[in-house]
Amino acid sequence: MSKLFPPSANKLPLQIIIYVGVLAVIATAGVTYYMTPKYTRVGYAPVQPVPFSHAKHVNELGLDCRYCHSNVDKSYHSNVPTSQTCMNCHNQIKATSPLLAPIKESYETGKAVPWVWIHQTPDYAYFNHSIHVNRGVSCVECHGQVNTMDTVTHMQPLSMGFCIDCHRAPEARLRDPKDIFNLDSKTLAEQGRAADAAKFVHDWKVKPPQSCSGCHR
Amino acid sequence: MKRKVEHPAASESALTGPKYWRSLDELAATPGFQAQLEREFPAGAAEMNGTDRRQFMKIMAASFALGGLGLAGCRRPEQNILPFGKSVEGIIPGLPQYYATAMPLRKSAIPLLAETHQGRPTKLEGNPTYTPHGGATTLIAQASILDLYDPDRATAHTKGGGVLNAAAVNEVLASIGKNYTGSNGAGLAFLAEESSSPTRARLLKKLRSKFPKAVWAEYEPVVEEPPVAAAQACFGASVKPVYRFAKAKRIVSLDCDFLSAESGSLYYAREFSKGRKVKTKADADKMNRLYVAESNFTLTGSMADHRLRLASSHILGLAIGLLTKITGNTELAAQAEGLGVKPEWIAECAADLVAHRGECLLVAGAHQSAQVHAIAYGLNAYLGNIGKTIDFVAIEPSTAASISDLASAIKSGSVKTLVVLGGNPAYNAPADLDWAALQKSVGEVIRFGYYSDETTAASPGCAHIAAAHYLESWGDARTADGTVVPVQPMIMPLFGGLTENEILARIAVETNADPYALVYETITGLAGGDAEKAMRRFLHDGVLAETASPTIAVALNMASVRALFQKMPAKVEFSAKSLEVRFVTDHKMDDGRFANNGWLQECPDPMTKISWDNAILVSPKLGKELGIDPKGSLIQVARKEENEFYIGKENGHVYELTIGGRKIKGPLHIQPGLANYTVVVALGYGRTATGHVGTGAGFSGYAARTTTAMHIATGATLSDTGTRSLLANLQEHWSMEGRDIVREANIDEFKENPAYVRGVGMESHSPSILGEEGEKMKLGERAAAVPRGGSLYDTPSDKNGGFDGHHQWGMSIDLNTCIGCNACVVACQAENNIPIVGRDQVLRGREMHWIRLDRYYSDGNIDAAAFGGEGNAQLPEDPQVSLQPVACMQCELAPCETVCPVNATVHDDEGINTMAYNRCIGTRYCANNCPYKVRRFNFFDWNQRHLDSLYMSQLGPKGMPELVKMVKNPEVTVRMRGVMEKCTYCIQRIQNGKIQHKVKMAQVGTPGEVVVPDGTIKTACQQVCPAAAIEFGNILDGQSAVSQAKSREHDYSLLGYLNIRPRTTYLGKLRNPNPKMPDYGALPLSRVEYNKKNHPAGSGEHGGAGEHAPAHGEKKEPGHALLDAAKKIGGLS
Repeated sequence: MSKLFPPSANKLPLQIIIYVGVLAVIATAGVTYYMTPKYTRVGYAPVQPVPFSHAKHVNELGLDCRYCHSNVDKSYHSNVPTSQTCMNCHNQIKATSPLLAPIKESYETGKAVPWVWIHQTPDYAYFNHSIHVNRGVSCVECHGQVNTMDTVTHMQPLSMGFCIDCHRAPEARLRDPKDIFNLDSKTLAEQGRAADAAKFVHDWKVKPPQSCSGCHR
Repeated sequence: MKRKVEHPAASESALTGPKYWRSLDELAATPGFQAQLEREFPAGAAEMNGTDRRQFMKIMAASFALGGLGLAGCRRPEQNILPFGKSVEGIIPGLPQYYATAMPLRKSAIPLLAETHQGRPTKLEGNPTYTPHGGATTLIAQASILDLYDPDRATAHTKGGGVLNAAAVNEVLASIGKNYTGSNGAGLAFLAEESSSPTRARLLKKLRSKFPKAVWAEYEPVVEEPPVAAAQACFGASVKPVYRFAKAKRIVSLDCDFLSAESGSLYYAREFSKGRKVKTKADADKMNRLYVAESNFTLTGSMADHRLRLASSHILGLAIGLLTKITGNTELAAQAEGLGVKPEWIAECAADLVAHRGECLLVAGAHQSAQVHAIAYGLNAYLGNIGKTIDFVAIEPSTAASISDLASAIKSGSVKTLVVLGGNPAYNAPADLDWAALQKSVGEVIRFGYYSDETTAASPGCAHIAAAHYLESWGDARTADGTVVPVQPMIMPLFGGLTENEILARIAVETNADPYALVYETITGLAGGDAEKAMRRFLHDGVLAETASPTIAVALNMASVRALFQKMPAKVEFSAKSLEVRFVTDHKMDDGRFANNGWLQECPDPMTKISWDNAILVSPKLGKELGIDPKGSLIQVARKEENEFYIGKENGHVYELTIGGRKIKGPLHIQPGLANYTVVVALGYGRTATGHVGTGAGFSGYAARTTTAMHIATGATLSDTGTRSLLANLQEHWSMEGRDIVREANIDEFKENPAYVRGVGMESHSPSILGEEGEKMKLGERAAAVPRGGSLYDTPSDKNGGFDGHHQWGMSIDLNTCIGCNACVVACQAENNIPIVGRDQVLRGREMHWIRLDRYYSDGNIDAAAFGGEGNAQLPEDPQVSLQPVACMQCELAPCETVCPVNATVHDDEGINTMAYNRCIGTRYCANNCPYKVRRFNFFDWNQRHLDSLYMSQLGPKGMPELVKMVKNPEVTVRMRGVMEKCTYCIQRIQNGKIQHKVKMAQVGTPGEVVVPDGTIKTACQQVCPAAAIEFGNILDGQSAVSQAKSREHDYSLLGYLNIRPRTTYLGKLRNPNPKMPDYGALPLSRVEYNKKNHPAGSGEHGGAGEHAPAHGEKKEPGHALLDAAKKIGGLS
């Protein structure tokens, strides 16, 4: 039988296996990295109709989160303030700034300012703000250090894995209830107060749901 | 690990006698029914049709191509948050708000609390401030919210095809006022509906004083209140009765469906169920006893301890019989003869009433004659019930003309302008008036209505003024007991609709026709004191305190009563050639006004279980005489040959019903329990001009109804048209194979053995499924520890850290008080965004209701061929009914969970069997493995696709109308095609309840108190239940209402022997028959059947485990035949 294949072809099966293997690894790695919320969402910082700076309002002026997001401890949503809330101060301060024009217009006409939604959970996940901020979870855990941001940026993946990590081990992320709205504060664990964290979990009977029904209904 | 549920093999004796049967097919064990038992879904439910393989491939190819084009849309869409420009007081985005309002209906109203989300109402609940209803509502009130978002409603004011703007409408209305001021209203006529609104009454007075010569007529096609003539004759006063069922120990209903068809029936149902609530044997003596004589088979009849089938025309005779026996007055006795009623029935019933003077009650149906009511009043007076179980309250005598008066005025040509306020006379006026033609003959017609309907169509040139929904209106109303309640708008009129009050005010040229101002004036006038404060209080509470009509002391005036009986109706004999026809208010459509409501259309009738249609109901005996029962043993409903039987699809013979020359056509449905020669026609169907939903559903009974025979007609005949019509009957779907499903006992047995449920059913023959260890535990422990018993499957429990240790949810349903009204079905639909699937899909068995109400018949005499007997010689005519609501039982050892390949249905840490829709890939294994058949599959994208183009799939139009989106509950996912769904115990309410409680506790400084107090969380079905039959709560808390209910001795699990440990358990049903009655049975008929099946040798008493040595020798032959049959269908393999 004549030689149909050169001797080098003997290595071909091995080469193919290695090649396919490498390709699979690259594809898997690519999908795992690029197609997860960690890549698709973290860093999302859209341009807002009004360049509102949290850094200025919180860090420089010392506004509490709840001045604007007034229902965060009562409701599902952490409400974005109405234009009227802005105008409480801005009818005095920088009242003529052109940057504020959309707010002023909205206040006068009653039409909403179209703020771009950044931290968006899927429709089938029901996240409740009030239960988190009332029971030891600070804004900063999900939203990052908003108090230092000029432009709000998506800091955490907010994927199911991200939620579950904390729900499985809440003691690592709990803060002193006094520090919830202090975005520069540290968690009890970070302060080295692991015993306090454990006491918190015990006394408050913190048992975050890990069942589907906790968030999906 | 897969766990296979093995049903215990049926013993020979077990197969020799049937028990419950839910349809005549089941009773006869027709091959079609057997085949259905073997199926996961009814035939056709899981199959494609109308498309062959080749076409399917084509469509799929096209869809893939479209999918490819769509890849460009991978990027996440940018979405906006739109806060208010100016802050709105009280609104917190994400939290619902509740406002008091009320649903007006004829002369009554149902006080409500409306849940609104950012200004759109999504759900209605009963207003608990109005104590007689205790926070409950009705089926119709639950569904009424869907009408608000009906895309088919009148969306603009029109005239002859053109659109009228608001100013033009005002001009039209004001011009009427101006034009007729000079003539004092001569030539002006109004046709309105009945109303309890004090504001309308006030405006009407004004209108009348302004236009004294105008005709004001009111018309309602159905009656809900007893004739005033009866009260006038008896007491010489304009009064109406208010029954106090909770105080009545013995109740006699004379053709009165007080649980659903009477004014105030919600209050009556609630009170009646109080008298049925038996917690322990100490309560047993307090249980009421209900005697019902009726021609139709109503819900009230289904609750009866003694039920007498009697033509409605003969009810007077029965009443006279009772009168004679009770008072000894024989003046009218001759009338009571020849009814075919056993004299002992009357005598013993009468004796029972006499023995309970002052604590018994006789009620008569609103459609019955004044004479029947007079006898009922007279007997109540004689028995000393007035002021105890029956009160009389004053009512304003009606001064309105009747529709006949108005018709003759139109005929005489004296009506120039006709204002039709609501109603739908062209559809539902008596046929002899020929209303459509009359209306056409009037020069100017102004029509005010919610739909552009038959009445609008009858006068093509009329001005149609769009009405506002009651949830868009300012108004007021009175409940059946006279309490004034507000009708408060939840949303601005979506289409600029007006209210009736506003129209009247504008015609009467009031200076201020603002609807709020009109109500304000009335209410502040009624309340007195600080006007603003009173109004605010009124709107906040939802009731105006102490406005219930005062009770009036009445005395019987024998002279005028005698006058009423001067002329007695002629006695009528009925036969197949001369039938009685009962026109009844439909349980769902009412008089037809809710015909375009998809929730109501799809909800099955509580007795016939037919949805989307009505039928001519005939008794089995009449069916036989008509020759529509199949010969031999194949007794099938309304069909003759077996091969015409499509499983789950009832193929009704279409018959023509002729009454006095007027004909209507409709499919026959054989309904056991009807009076032999009474034919029942439900009104409200056969609409020709309403929306997409209602048009063409069923047939209209109004076409054969005349002024003289509005509710009961005689001398009717039936003739076969030779055609057939399919009925979407849910009756045979989801069968449970006729085992010990509803467990019942007579009250005497219960008194001796409150734990009788333990002696019935498979579990009584086997060691406890909980194991010895589990049997010793308390309810709460058992729920937390989940004793393994004989189970290999390791479910979450406290032991393995799977449970949260605070809550374990459970439910208890009291079968003794459930009246089967279906309110829970629609409440659940509204709460959980359950889609409508349409008639065609219901015919295929794809209905989506998370709760169904099983209705079982039992007559004790079953000897079906399938069980080795000779076969039924006759169709049973007088069955007992057992009703049972079934939703997901949230089994602790749930068989659905073990078969899910993707873990989409898993247990949560509070003992709920959850559904993660996003994980579900639609294998439907779970539904296949569910012994209760409570899982529902989205065969189509019901929400996104139009119901008439479901089969076009991707090629059909997509998207939910904006208006329909508004009714959806934002707390619940809207499911798409291909996912399974089922009851979740209203998981959204549980989560919200827990969150709100924890937030509150954290804010008041006691964050450790995380256990939600009992009663805070209510499921939608529990909240709506008129009979308060459902308890729900935390079973870890031994004091919770549900724990208390579950620890009663007559608590049992449905199919408990499967060891799946349902979290929903039932309290057994009790009956309270009178041992002296001729139709008394020592056991309920279902138990007689149970015993016949399980103890054919009559082994009698049923005791603890394992005492039944099989005495199976006698019936060897039939048993073998059955074994063979069972092998064929794989039951014993």
